[in-house]
Amino acid sequence: MYDVIIIGAGPAGLSAATTSANEGLNVLVIDEYMKAGGRLLGQLYEEPDGTYWNGIKESNHLYEQARRSGAEIKLRNSVHNIEKSGDVWLVYTERATYETSHLLLATGAAESPLPVPGWTLPGVMSVGAAQVMTNVHRVKPGKRGVIIGVNPLAAVIASELQMAGVEVAALTLPQMNGLNEEAANPKQVMNQLLHVAHMAPSALIRQGSKWMKPSIMQQLGITFYPKSGFKMWGIPVHLRKAVTEILGDEKVAAVKLATVKPNGDVIEGTEEIITCDFVCIAGGLYPLTELAAVAGCPFYLVEELGGYVPLHNERMETALDGLYVAGNITGIEGAKIAIAQGVTAGLTMASNHGVPGLEARIDQSIKEIEHTRDSAPFHFHPDVKKGKQIVQEKWEEMMKAEQPL
Amino acid sequence: MNQQDFLVCRCEEVTYNELMETASRNGCTARELKLRTRAGMGYCGGRTCRPLVQQITKKLEQAPHTRVTLKYQPPVRPISFGVLGGGEE
Ligand SMILES: Cc1cc2nc3c(=O)[nH]c(=O)nc-3n(C[C@H](O)[C@H](O)[C@H](O)COP(=O)(O)OP(=O)(O)OC[C@H]3O[C@@H](n4cnc5c(N)ncnc54)[C@H](O)[C@@H]3O)c2cc1C
Repeated sequence: MYDVIIIGAGPAGLSAATTSANEGLNVLVIDEYMKAGGRLLGQLYEEPDGTYWNGIKESNHLYEQARRSGAEIKLRNSVHNIEKSGDVWLVYTERATYETSHLLLATGAAESPLPVPGWTLPGVMSVGAAQVMTNVHRVKPGKRGVIIGVNPLAAVIASELQMAGVEVAALTLPQMNGLNEEAANPKQVMNQLLHVAHMAPSALIRQGSKWMKPSIMQQLGITFYPKSGFKMWGIPVHLRKAVTEILGDEKVAAVKLATVKPNGDVIEGTEEIITCDFVCIAGGLYPLTELAAVAGCPFYLVEELGGYVPLHNERMETALDGLYVAGNITGIEGAKIAIAQGVTAGLTMASNHGVPGLEARIDQSIKEIEHTRDSAPFHFHPDVKKGKQIVQEKWEEMMKAEQPL
Repeated sequence: MNQQDFLVCRCEEVTYNELMETASRNGCTARELKLRTRAGMGYCGGRTCRPLVQQITKKLEQAPHTRVTLKYQPPVRPISFGVLGGGEE
């Protein structure tokens, strides 16, 4: 029987482990991957101040900290079910069933696919898989790749591939179909990009973002968007071209690219072939909530946070006694915010377990999350703060409805 | 331009056209579309195609904000019968 079990050894889970173990709690962390660090492991980018954020280093640091605090960490073990029995949470894993009073879900995010014809060929992978191969395992996914899906994550990973000596032939849209409307609509994609434009080292986009805010200007922007695309870190970014098919006999050999109208319709006769030996699909991220759903948590759909999130309060408590959430399961954001949320969850669990005098630190840690969010160099969704507010409101509504009059 | 067909659910080999036709013929909810075609009901438990099945029915269904349209059920990872039954691996 543990005081605390944490599912997920990403930045949120590891920081919660350190925090609660330092308060004297008996803590177990479980993760299915072979290394601790979660999605932080693959991250490698330049901060606005010119220093590098090296995910492997940061992960090792968080892992060592957690180990020193006395938390037990078990890797290579998947949790397939959780269940409450009386006052105890049961955690079912491949190897054993564990028991705990406080259970934290820090399972992070998953990638959405953007299927196009040919996407089941060997050599097609999610953009996150290419990131992990390159930055964590140091294996090149190929010599020359095409990335389907134009969004912040795709751009970041394109630059990482390039740093590793892998050529990225293009970032481009998928042909519009019933599965991908937003990601295939040039105007909507342009809209999204304008919010991260300050990151792009291209004068066109950086300057353009100032005057393209009103929506008529956006329509003009996409109509006159250069058909040859613009370059970001030397990589062609196409918003007026879309992949209609991935080609190859036994594995990826090329993609077929066509010019599209501003509404995403393909212009016939404009097809061209771009050779490549791998293709990445970048369909965006959504919170990985399967275990919260199995447990019976109330949810709310918040587009600004990437999808359905389990309702929770600022202290990271869910509506179910003894069940907590932290990190990307509460909405898609960067790793520093996940770390800050882990601290709050760790303190809340310690306080609920009977450690006295933590209130001021909990309040302080909640402010720290806000502060980290405000100083983040970019957001996966521009309206993430509004999304957080919606969750807060829905939580309060639910609490009021439950209060006996 | 005609949309060429392709697989959406790889475990159960359900194609795009099959899903789109089933959805428009029956005005399906996500759950009904899944049950009719078996998309998302294979070995991986819908870990890849779940969001796609939901996307197809999104407009028809007016996605309810308060509950997940496709129910999650344990086990959420593929495991052996031995593990599931609590026996030896
Ligand atoms: C592919 C991908 C790329 C990303 N790239 C960036 C980036 O470049 N920059 C950036 O700022 N953010 C990026 N993110 C966002 C990223 O999610 C956050 O930066 C941060 O890592 C979230 O931390 P977390 O602790 O919430 O989750 P994660 O870091 O995702 O950790 C969750 C952990 O839970 C484990 N887990 C999940 N389910 C189970 C289960 N059932 N049983 C056992 N273990 C389980 C996973 O193995 C994982 O190790 C990326 C996310 C993804 C999915």
